[in-house]
Amino acid sequence: MYPAPMASTFETVADIISEICDIPRDTITPDSHAIDDLGIDSLDFLDVAFAIDKAFDIKMPLEKWIQDVNDGKATTEQYFVMKNLCARIDELIAAKG
Amino acid sequence: MRLEYFEMIDSFLAVDATARTIRTLCRVPETSPIFEGHFPGFALMPGVLLIECMAQTCGWMTSAINGFSGLPALAGVKEAKLREPVFPGHVLEFDGKIIHDGSGYAMAECEGRRDGKVVCSAGLTYRIIAYPSDVFRQTMLRRARELEFPIEEFVRE
Repeated sequence: MYPAPMASTFETVADIISEICDIPRDTITPDSHAIDDLGIDSLDFLDVAFAIDKAFDIKMPLEKWIQDVNDGKATTEQYFVMKNLCARIDELIAAKG
Repeated sequence: MRLEYFEMIDSFLAVDATARTIRTLCRVPETSPIFEGHFPGFALMPGVLLIECMAQTCGWMTSAINGFSGLPALAGVKEAKLREPVFPGHVLEFDGKIIHDGSGYAMAECEGRRDGKVVCSAGLTYRIIAYPSDVFRQTMLRRARELEFPIEEFVRE
């Protein structure tokens, strides 16, 4: 669905999640779902989002993503499976110019 | 400060929209039913209420930078330190800074001082939740005006 994310983006995001959520790094794969597979709850995800926003100097539009899911316009997989999340991050980085 | 009503802030000493910093004045009352229990014969400002002072200080700035469109609900407190006891009659100043304005959330840091000495500090996480109604928004704006918060720097009405 999305082009493969840059390897460095995945590594950075996976490292962030591993450190903040105390999840073994080797259990985080590109196909891992942040919520369903990794068990990251909504509060921990705020800390993850903060770290990601800071690391890449972006502002992930979490509210829009969640609204899209609630409105049925998207699935959680499209935003929260690691490879898709990283692809979204890459889009935000590219949009900065 | 009206402890029983959880109205912790007496006034805003400084609000910087660009730097996203805020300084508030919070006077601990001489008497309160809270002190009758905490503790009998030895009134002491509860530490959790110092955290509430910090949360409200940064909460106001979070509300403002979001244009008073949502309520910053305290979601997390990191590394809270309560360094000095605070007693009735003490006058405190809190310095808060929004360190990140995320989508639907905010991160802040705050320190409280008495006579220039740090008495407490914490990192704060807020989840921004939608106001339940426009009536509530108007209530919040009215409260901001009562406290002379510089709304006009943040809200174009």
